[in-house]
Amino acid sequence: MAQPNSLIHFSGHQHLRSRLVLSILSGKHVRIDKIRSEDKNPGLRDYEISLLRLLEKFTNGTIIEISVTGTAILLKPGVILGGTLQHECPTSRAIGYFLEPLIMLAPFAKKPANITLKGITTDEHDFSADILRTVTLPHLQLFGISQGLELRIKRRGATPGGGGEVQFMCPIVKQVKTINFVDPGRIKRIRGVAHVVRVNPQFSNRMIEASRSILNRYIPDIYLYSDIYKGDESGKSPGYALTLLAESTTSAIYCSEAISEAGVAPEDIGLKATRALLSEVEKGGCIDERHQILVLLMMVLGSEDVGRCRMGEPTRKTIQFLRDVRSFFATSFKIVSADPPDPECSQLIYSCYGTGYVNANRALA
Amino acid sequence: MDDRPHKAHRPAQSGSKHEKKEKGKGKEKQHGFNEKAFAPKSGRRADRQGRRNVERDQTRLHVPLVNRTPDDDPPPVIIAVVGPSGVGKTTLLKSLVRRYAKQTLNDAKGPITIVSGKKRRLTFIECNNDLNSMIDIGKIADLVLLMVDGSFGFEMETFEFLNILQSHGFPKVIGILTHLDLIKKASTLKDTKKALKKRFWTEIYQGAKLFYLSGVLNGRYPDTEIMNLSRFISVMKFRPLVFRNSHPYLLADRIEDLTPRELVRTSKGKCDRTVTVYGYVRGTNLRLGTKVHIPGVGDLDMSNVTVLGDPCPLPTADSEKRRKLSEKKKLLIHAPMSDVGGVMYDKDAVWVNVPGSFTRGNADVPQGEGEQMVMDLQDADKTLEDRVAQSNIRLFGTSSQALKVDPTSDSDSESFSDEEEEEDESGLGSSSDGESESEGEDEDEADTPRDLHNTGRSGRRTITRSLPSSSLKEKTDIEYAESDSDLGEDEEEFSARMGKRVRINGDEDDHDIPSDEDEDGEDNEDEDEEDEKGEEDESIPKWKSNLAERAAQNLSSSSKTKRKDWIKLIYTSSLSPDEILLGKKQSQTEETADDDFFQVRSKQQTDDSEALDAGKEPIDVESLKKWEDEEMLDSIRKLFITGGEGDQGEGFNNDGENPDGENEDEDEEDEEDDDEAGPSRSKPKPTSIDPGMSRADALAAKKALLKRKFDEQYDDPESSSKADFYSEAKDEITKQLALNRAEFAGVDAEARALIEGYRPGQYVRIELQNVPCEMIAHFDPSYPIVVGGLLPAEERFGYVQVRIKRHRWYNRTLKTNDPLVFSLGWRRFQSIPIYSLDDHSIRMRMLKYTPEHMHCFATFFGPVALPNTGFCAFNSLAADTPGFRVSATGVVLDIDRSAKIVKKIKLTGTPYKIFKNTAFIKDMFTTALEVAKFEGANIRTVSGIRGQIKKALPKPDGAFRATFEDKVLKSDIIFLRAWYSIQPRKFYNPVTSLLLSEKSKWSGMRLTGQVRRDEGLKTPLNVNSTYKKVERAPRRFNALIVPKKLQAALPYASKPKLMKPQKHMTYLQKRAVVMEPEEKKALALMQQIRALRKDQVARRHEKKEEKKAERAKKLEKEDAKKSDREKERKKDVMRIAGQKSKREADMQEGGGRGKRRKT
Repeated sequence: MAQPNSLIHFSGHQHLRSRLVLSILSGKHVRIDKIRSEDKNPGLRDYEISLLRLLEKFTNGTIIEISVTGTAILLKPGVILGGTLQHECPTSRAIGYFLEPLIMLAPFAKKPANITLKGITTDEHDFSADILRTVTLPHLQLFGISQGLELRIKRRGATPGGGGEVQFMCPIVKQVKTINFVDPGRIKRIRGVAHVVRVNPQFSNRMIEASRSILNRYIPDIYLYSDIYKGDESGKSPGYALTLLAESTTSAIYCSEAISEAGVAPEDIGLKATRALLSEVEKGGCIDERHQILVLLMMVLGSEDVGRCRMGEPTRKTIQFLRDVRSFFATSFKIVSADPPDPECSQLIYSCYGTGYVNANRALA
Repeated sequence: MDDRPHKAHRPAQSGSKHEKKEKGKGKEKQHGFNEKAFAPKSGRRADRQGRRNVERDQTRLHVPLVNRTPDDDPPPVIIAVVGPSGVGKTTLLKSLVRRYAKQTLNDAKGPITIVSGKKRRLTFIECNNDLNSMIDIGKIADLVLLMVDGSFGFEMETFEFLNILQSHGFPKVIGILTHLDLIKKASTLKDTKKALKKRFWTEIYQGAKLFYLSGVLNGRYPDTEIMNLSRFISVMKFRPLVFRNSHPYLLADRIEDLTPRELVRTSKGKCDRTVTVYGYVRGTNLRLGTKVHIPGVGDLDMSNVTVLGDPCPLPTADSEKRRKLSEKKKLLIHAPMSDVGGVMYDKDAVWVNVPGSFTRGNADVPQGEGEQMVMDLQDADKTLEDRVAQSNIRLFGTSSQALKVDPTSDSDSESFSDEEEEEDESGLGSSSDGESESEGEDEDEADTPRDLHNTGRSGRRTITRSLPSSSLKEKTDIEYAESDSDLGEDEEEFSARMGKRVRINGDEDDHDIPSDEDEDGEDNEDEDEEDEKGEEDESIPKWKSNLAERAAQNLSSSSKTKRKDWIKLIYTSSLSPDEILLGKKQSQTEETADDDFFQVRSKQQTDDSEALDAGKEPIDVESLKKWEDEEMLDSIRKLFITGGEGDQGEGFNNDGENPDGENEDEDEEDEEDDDEAGPSRSKPKPTSIDPGMSRADALAAKKALLKRKFDEQYDDPESSSKADFYSEAKDEITKQLALNRAEFAGVDAEARALIEGYRPGQYVRIELQNVPCEMIAHFDPSYPIVVGGLLPAEERFGYVQVRIKRHRWYNRTLKTNDPLVFSLGWRRFQSIPIYSLDDHSIRMRMLKYTPEHMHCFATFFGPVALPNTGFCAFNSLAADTPGFRVSATGVVLDIDRSAKIVKKIKLTGTPYKIFKNTAFIKDMFTTALEVAKFEGANIRTVSGIRGQIKKALPKPDGAFRATFEDKVLKSDIIFLRAWYSIQPRKFYNPVTSLLLSEKSKWSGMRLTGQVRRDEGLKTPLNVNSTYKKVERAPRRFNALIVPKKLQAALPYASKPKLMKPQKHMTYLQKRAVVMEPEEKKALALMQQIRALRKDQVARRHEKKEEKKAERAKKLEKEDAKKSDREKERKKDVMRIAGQKSKREADMQEGGGRGKRRKT
């Protein structure tokens, strides 16, 4: 009979998503315990349960065991199935929370994914649908995942009511390409989306105006779209947000986002987003720190060649992710300063030898 | 010199040479190449010729494949010698080894590695006649020397092996015909060679190389023939095979048991063992932390991998300046399982082969290496302790004084004692291990001559092995800690705690991390965002003061920031991510960890339970305030394409300028840029600073750059267009390979192993845990031990769907649910497949048997292999199986956790009440619930009347109402066609052939019939299944009655014609006829004539019959004669055949050959 797969053990509720993703990709069983065991409200939250359900639907043969108290889970991953899927996300987290792991898994599924998620499209914690569409997905293109990769925002849903809907379509690949991305280039264009639901449509123009007052000095190639959803498509709650992204000559993308707050003028929201973008630009690197995990994962999964990427210092999540990667894939990164003679350079070059991960789920012919 | 005249040349008068001459006589001899002869005569022909050439070029191309084997220091090429028993494999192996290494092996077992050239090493391995070995060898051999007995012809094993090769990626094959000296007649020899070559070519490819070896001299093949063969081997090129190019693997040339002897003793040898295997890494990089599979044993975990010094190194550039390999290097041979120099390594001992009686003294007898070794061991006059005390070990090269051993402190002396002792310490001190280690130690001798007394050996093997400095076990943890002692204190502590860990170069930069914290107040807010909350009170008044300066500082990031060693922090420290980012003192955590067993939970260790696993960090409003400042805004201008030259260093050239004015500038520039090409975008802009020289320089540099760009684009337009897809792909591959080599070139060996694993070509020692004890107990060096690395996906189990075809030489069909032994990936296992075919792309329909001459699908439960992996399957691996053993071949298509195979099921029922088109049907289901499940399903009668299930009836149970398109009969059988999904049985049985004492006697799950046969059981007979005579009562059909009313309404044509026959005689029947006399006469005459005629015909017929019988008799006689002759002829043939076989049997007995299976 089947030999027991090596079980990997973790504690704590942090980094749940990346651990689940790594487990499913590597096929190793994972056990996570002490999930908020000291908390007044112990165990998994509703959105985490919902995520587990989504992953169970997205795969075939996955066995998830949750302890009675909900403070421990055991995941025995199956094969990534893909295909058409619908999921109702709870309003405690935005769609971005659920879509991020799916984006990491979908290229390695058996069938091209076509997933409809319903819930909140923009909130303050997770990637909004706009960032996922304009920034996260282009990151996958670096790895040769581009044909048919799309995120459609069918309805928008602001906090707290939600009512948004996005459709995520992703092709499957046999193997991701190796990247060698060390030149951040210089910013060549700036794009933005100012969306408004269930409030005065003029708000979007006010945000754009404020943003342009700063950005106009840099480059002329700036397009900020105002995206107004009305009626049925605008979800259940009012809200607005400005999403900005700056693209460099080597297609490094920096992004920022500011969403509506009570009692704050739309101009201030616009300025906040713009300044956040400028500080992102200032940080430099080829990949912003929020996408480090995605890019590093794809580098690990690349062919058995050396992939290199220039990024800023690892974030908290990234550090834990790198450690997790080592326990799942037995591979580690070489992280050195991007410019060794320059002592002030905070940029790092991450290089790793890909594991040669081949999409074993993909059927032949 | 004698002055006798030379014999005159006499031209051949007959024979092939004469014929050749005769043929050539008429023709004029041509000198040189006649160009005109091959010039195309017409444009049309020239065109065609050109096309043909281009097409031929295309056939030459192969799909570009990355070769993962490094060009410098590649692993030895594995050359397998394969063939049926008694064909001369061992003789060839010995001959080849002698050719290369000038040594005669008595007992050539296991892999034998030798150096064959300046860039090539070879590993020879002999494959025994067991099918399991053939499968394993077929998966790893780079070159196969396929030996065929020329006097006998091809045998079944040869073809089986070729089919195994085909399904696992075809390595290079050279055929070798032996025993040709047994064929005495020259013409027979010629014909045999020709026939065998033809068969060999159809099997491999037209023109495959076939060697002929004549007889054996002095137990070897003739030297010239072996030399020719070795030349062919040396020029052989190898194309990477897909499977081997994606898996690391190892052919173990040595195996050792490291289990503590005490444990073995207490468990009576039945405990799981810790085993080390040695070999060259091949394929891709081997990573610690992945699983390996040893075919015949199972999946095992690697607990430790160590790079060892190459036991059979290639000549290095310094040692070998010559073009040719020196004779000294040629003597290098590494064959631990054989008896090189009289020393043989067993699984737990080293055997020294001593000819004659073993006494000291007789020094005149030339001693073998092993003998000498033992002698030298006896020479030792001092104990190990003394030697250690005497030894002059210096900690550093510059140390003036050697280390003194303090006898009181044991732990210290351990760390400085040599390797042998360490081995003993760790309880691994089996004698073989000690030997091997001391041997490894020996390798140092070439470089550093040591005191002979210290090593305990006066002489050493003629074999020299150089040892890379970073390898072997010199870097054990204790020593490592010492070597790091020049670093900071906490550093040392840390590394001591972590044991064997990585050190990346650049320790100079490696300052204490806490220093960051000290400087926190001054600089970089973005680096530690967490701190900011705490510092808010202070920083708010601060931030506005001299913003520009701070911006400048920030951007060029202050010179005081210390660089962290991220690799170490992330991978080898136990700090939490927060601590790493905030630069927490390592020593503090160390202390707490070391001091107390129980710890007080610190605040930081507990996860903030409300911290969200969020995608984006909240925007820090405070840090954004700096962007309210204009100067700050300007400071990042250089990061935009319109921002001028500015590389990182000279970022602030535009400081003084008015932003608005600059904007205008940029706009203008943009317009210009539209005209020009992209590269000129970064044009120097009229800035206020740096006039004069520097500017001129910059301009000149810029111009040069532009010129170069222009040259690249315009001077050589072909360079870009010339590269077609093929060469582009190849270039890309080489570029990536160069990057792969360059990226980790500077990293030290251990860190490199951590990051990229162990490269192909390295000689490693792999420690395996929990190895079944039978592997060691029943170890046999003639069975290869292959260590195959597994990809993460391959560790899993699931349903594997394959495309399969029964082999056309396998003479039985394969049946669903019969166990089959698969050789898939590295593994050999038995599983139970279900065969299926795609039914109109709607469903996978189960097949009971594999179709003839056609592919079908099979699904079985087993370990996953990547799609597109080839496999072959066997019903039985036993040697006594008659006929061809490869029963099927195929390729993996899909992997899933469930299978979607269906088989047809027909539910039958009978009508018990019939209305017009409606009928009540029973016996199809047993409950109303079942009926409810099938409501609306299509049903049919045998006669073809279609219908539908409507609704369940209350009584009897399971009866239902159904409607049909016509009235059904009571005698009709109603059936429902449905599909029943089946899952393959979850059966997986690895072929653990290496664990058996008789390795070829593995038997897996038997078929039911086989079990019954073996146990002497009768097949149970189901009474319902017995065949009985079918009693069919004759059917009575009632007459068709058309109602009167309907009859009346029918048109005349359709009306039944119901006329009764006439009862009364008609007039014509009633009247009497009276003839005239003439009429009477005529009638009588006619009657007479008719009678005569009749008689004539009868007589004629009789005569014909007679003749026919006569002829039949004659034919019969002839036939009998013919059959007699035939019988006689057959008898003759059989007699001759019988004599022949008898002769052969005699010959075999005489030659001591094994069983033969003639194809």
